[in-house]
Amino acid sequence: MPKTQFINPAEARKSKTLNLGTIPVNVYNKSIKDELSRFSKDDLVRIYRDMLIIREFETMLNLIKTKEEFNGVAYTHPGPAHLSIGQEAAAVGMAYKLDIDDYIFGSHRSHGEILAKGLSAIQKLDDDILYKIMKNFFDGRILSIVEKGHKGDMKSLGLKFLIYGTLAEVFARETGFNKGLGGSMHAFFTPFGIYPNNAIVGGSGDIAVGAALYKKVNRKSGIVVANIGDASLGCGPVWEGMSFAAMDQYHELWEGDMQGGLPIIFNIMNNQYGMGGQTCGETMGYTIAARVGAAVNRENMYAERVDGYNPLAVIDAYERKMQLMEEKKGPILLDVLTYRYSGHSPSDSSSYRSKEEVEAWESVDSILSYGKELIEAGLADQFTLDQIKKETDDLIMGSFKLSIDDQLSPRMDLVANPGLIGDMMYSNGSVDAMEEGPLDTLMPLEENPRVKQIARKERYAFDDKRKPYSAMKQYQFRDGIFEAIVDRFYKDSTLVAYGEENRDWGGAFAVYRGLTEALPYHRLFNSPISEGAIVGTAIGYGMCGGRVIPEIMYCDFLGRAGDEVFNQLPKWQAMSGNLIKMPVVLRVSVGSKYGAQHSQDWSSLVAHIPGIKVVFPATPYDAKGLMNAALQGTDPVIYLESQRLYGIGEEFHKEGVPEEYYEIPLGEPDIKRPGEDITILTIGATLYRAMEAAKQLEDQYGMSAEIIDARSLVPFNYELVLESLKKTGRILLLSDASERGSYLKDMAHNITELGFDDLDAPPVVVGSRNWIIPAYELEDYFFPQPSWIVDAIHEKIVPLKNHTSTQNFTSGEQLRRSRLGV
Amino acid sequence: MAVVVIMPRQGQSVESCILTEWYKEEGEQVSKGDLLFAYETDKAAFEEEAPNDGLLLARFFLEGDEVPVLQNVAVIGVEGDSVEEFRPQGDPDRSLKEEVANEGVVVEAEPVTPEPLATVSVSQSNGRTTISPRARKLACKKRVMLENLQGTGPGGRIIERDVLEAIRHGKRLTPLAKKKMEAEGLTVPAGSNEECGRYRTSDLVEPAPSAAGTAGLEGRGSYSDVPLSNVRKIIAGAMQRSLQNSAQLTHHMSANVSGMLELRRQVKARQKDGYPYNITLNDMACYAAIRSLKLHPGANAHFLGESIRQFSQVNLGLAVDTDRGLMVPALLNADLLSLPGLSVSLKEMADRSKQGSISPDLIVPEAASFTVSNLGNYGVEMFTPVINLPQVAILGVNTIILRPAALPDGNFGFQPFMGLSLTYDHRAIDGGPATLFLAEIKNQIESLTTDLL
Repeated sequence: MPKTQFINPAEARKSKTLNLGTIPVNVYNKSIKDELSRFSKDDLVRIYRDMLIIREFETMLNLIKTKEEFNGVAYTHPGPAHLSIGQEAAAVGMAYKLDIDDYIFGSHRSHGEILAKGLSAIQKLDDDILYKIMKNFFDGRILSIVEKGHKGDMKSLGLKFLIYGTLAEVFARETGFNKGLGGSMHAFFTPFGIYPNNAIVGGSGDIAVGAALYKKVNRKSGIVVANIGDASLGCGPVWEGMSFAAMDQYHELWEGDMQGGLPIIFNIMNNQYGMGGQTCGETMGYTIAARVGAAVNRENMYAERVDGYNPLAVIDAYERKMQLMEEKKGPILLDVLTYRYSGHSPSDSSSYRSKEEVEAWESVDSILSYGKELIEAGLADQFTLDQIKKETDDLIMGSFKLSIDDQLSPRMDLVANPGLIGDMMYSNGSVDAMEEGPLDTLMPLEENPRVKQIARKERYAFDDKRKPYSAMKQYQFRDGIFEAIVDRFYKDSTLVAYGEENRDWGGAFAVYRGLTEALPYHRLFNSPISEGAIVGTAIGYGMCGGRVIPEIMYCDFLGRAGDEVFNQLPKWQAMSGNLIKMPVVLRVSVGSKYGAQHSQDWSSLVAHIPGIKVVFPATPYDAKGLMNAALQGTDPVIYLESQRLYGIGEEFHKEGVPEEYYEIPLGEPDIKRPGEDITILTIGATLYRAMEAAKQLEDQYGMSAEIIDARSLVPFNYELVLESLKKTGRILLLSDASERGSYLKDMAHNITELGFDDLDAPPVVVGSRNWIIPAYELEDYFFPQPSWIVDAIHEKIVPLKNHTSTQNFTSGEQLRRSRLGV
Repeated sequence: MAVVVIMPRQGQSVESCILTEWYKEEGEQVSKGDLLFAYETDKAAFEEEAPNDGLLLARFFLEGDEVPVLQNVAVIGVEGDSVEEFRPQGDPDRSLKEEVANEGVVVEAEPVTPEPLATVSVSQSNGRTTISPRARKLACKKRVMLENLQGTGPGGRIIERDVLEAIRHGKRLTPLAKKKMEAEGLTVPAGSNEECGRYRTSDLVEPAPSAAGTAGLEGRGSYSDVPLSNVRKIIAGAMQRSLQNSAQLTHHMSANVSGMLELRRQVKARQKDGYPYNITLNDMACYAAIRSLKLHPGANAHFLGESIRQFSQVNLGLAVDTDRGLMVPALLNADLLSLPGLSVSLKEMADRSKQGSISPDLIVPEAASFTVSNLGNYGVEMFTPVINLPQVAILGVNTIILRPAALPDGNFGFQPFMGLSLTYDHRAIDGGPATLFLAEIKNQIESLTTDLL
């Protein structure tokens, strides 16, 4: 909360009535005849053609799914196909006005939107540029397939390119738009402004907002459309995305050209069903989806319901809404009413709706009605429409044949190239700045008060006599993170950071203190308490080409960003066929002292998910080096920070934390204490408890421990650990994560396999108990303590003379706990 | 109140025993003194009696289980007594340690590097020796035999330091032997690593035929593979090692035992008058051997590779046939005994061996300084006994046969002769002294007189 805004109790407590205003419903009432001055004949006929192409594309897939053949050609498609037969007018209307700079995001039912946006882009693109796009995409591989024997103009070649690329993608062919790695529910083609579909309902609800943020902050032209379903309004992340898009600060606090709303339209493709659940009358309570705009901001998100069975009504709405966009009045909500004749998927017997209902909607079918209107308006005769149908059939059939030809359109050869998908999991880039642009900062770095303060600190924790400097004097862990981040803010104009309490307050743990002075609002701001949107928007921001540091204040809150962290952030690089990058460094603070919902270490959870890198530094030197490396990269990194360590000085790197820039490569562990008799591999803050244990082992049992700080979880290079194991023959692994399912178990397993012959005892994992985390005063019974390490060594690795255990590490106890699940 | 029967500790080095047979069923009434179960160590077999009357309420182990010593084995009590509190928890090997840990009692164990190695309270689990991969690799590399290593890791696991300890104290290869072994694919003789010293090139043997070598036996008639008992394994190893690792040869000689037989007749005659000692021919032969050893200390010795250890006393080993196989218990300080004392001691020792109640510490080869093996009862006329290494000689006593011989009166007649077969290790003793020693035994036998009785 900025001090500039005063909350006046007299005002806030005043009695009044909240007037919600009005939300228009189906206000468009014109026919083609009425619109002849607004559209050319060609445009109006092309609208018909575009709807027909979508209809035939989806019909083909429906036949393949239900009959395993199309026009006498047999083909089996075992994958998904969520079809939008009936929704063509909504899709074409949505895309009609959009330029290639305008981005659309989709849902699981977005073939129609992809094709409509592609058709719109092809129409708008200059032939040369269109050809260049096709020629450059995957080195012209798709083009070469559709170009062969092509007769006709560039735009009709573009059509073939679009239909084939999409279909090959649906059929998981290597020649699809995303090399077959996206498929039906994740297909996209960014050169036409088509951003990802999303198999998670409402998945685009926050990601698209991030794309809009990217456009705004980086002064890019164009708007963003989030195509989401009516049922997705039941999803938290959609609400979070809308809240994030509607923050007052865009108008109240962002300054200069940055003032104003986000260029985003939440386009609800309202087909009135969420799978089989009827959103109006059964599963939701809004009656008319546009109503929810009234809950989000005082402008009701300029919401209105539009007749999505009339392409012209949708186009009309877009024309008006895009004007609002020009005036920076986003976000906008459109409730585009439509209907799907096909089931949720071809396996669906429509048991949840009556035949009469489907027939009633078919009788007002948009394509039929629109065709009739075209004839009535004298713009076409039946012959012309038949001709369009024939051309469409040929286009679809031709593309279908090409896409199922295993020679022309093979799948990824994972036999010849077993690493193909693995190679796409990360982009592994090293980029100073995602884009060259004006660096919006408020002062020269050297004048920053925090920078000046740090300059007076001791960058190594001890003086010549190994006496520690006072805590205030020591260069702290939080300073390490700050230095890396502020450095990048002055290098990469695209970099933004946000989360809960990131500005003014300086972050809940004072990492960002000083950044408020250095950066304008649009590069550092407070987000709503919306972890889903914090991560989701960062994903959208990243995939559009911007670097971003979202922050989750407590690791425990990761659950609130579950979909974003599990399904979105890690997946899009590979699902795009490596076309997009995801330079998102997600800072996650791992708590303690605050009990069961504020102290959990969920490093194991995120390390389990393929596609994200995970680091967990424990010293200021590593914190800065790893943050630098994470920010230099182009991959999603979960950067875990323990709240136990923010104030700690650099106790290991004797030269102190360098003032200049340096990187610590992700995945490389580090020996923090050399030793001979046992290796202790630690993750995160447990390093310091291992150091205490090492001292005990040395003093009391003559055992010399080598301590290796993992620093990274994913990726992880085992070589250093195995080398150490060769020497010691014994290894104990330590982390604050609950022991069951801990990532340490994975590491222990790998170590067992890779270093079996060197092991003098099984690798022993010491983690936290499988309990709720109790109060601070009881935490020592939950989190691993130095004495636990000694006990575990004594019981499981090598008996220690005259040792008395305080913890029970016997096999019997292990069996008992496991049996009880605690 | 229920009474617990534990696995007794037999000998200081024994950590666990194999429960070989149950004599009573669970739920059966037992009386004090009834045999409850039989068990054996590596070296001897024992029987445990019921400590009191009652119902056998619980048996915690099955036949064939390896039971740590002092572990609860059974409970005797009355109907309704609870037994669960006595049941070893979970993995039987772990229960002892668990209690220790739970009670916070100090466990006797050793620091990582420093010397004398103590063992944790329990050792091998389920009859299997557990060994860490690292210890196994090291043992393999350094050619250390694992069989008799005592593990000091958790649960008695053999860990690296145990192998290192064995290397420090145990038998290793000379550099030349190692080279030859690697070059020619030879191996060291199978068996335990009990001896000190180093394996030399001459010790090396061909490796045992692999499983592939025996393939094809199937279908050539029926047979049954009888697993080796622990005692059998020990004997097998000791015998094979003996023949492979020493330079044995046997001299035969005969002693005129007409005097000895007379002595025996007198014993029998005196027994009728209450003479308490049943002094046998074997006792007399042993007595003669003991006397001879005092005169020929070179035969009363252990060959240690770099040195020969001559004993000032005679610890006489006597080969005893038992149901479980050959045993050679030692009678310590046998040279201090009179002939009747020797007779009583030998009999007692043989009986204990047959019962399996002999102390395991007395049946290791190192316990005896010399061994006598008597096959005379079985009519054996001549044999080549095998030395119990590290002893340097063994006397085989054969049957008595009548031979024509010159009588003191100058006529020829038949005289009883007892065959004596002395096997000696040529590494330790040359042929001359060996012959003189054997001749001394013959002489002693022929010189036995009634005043010894």
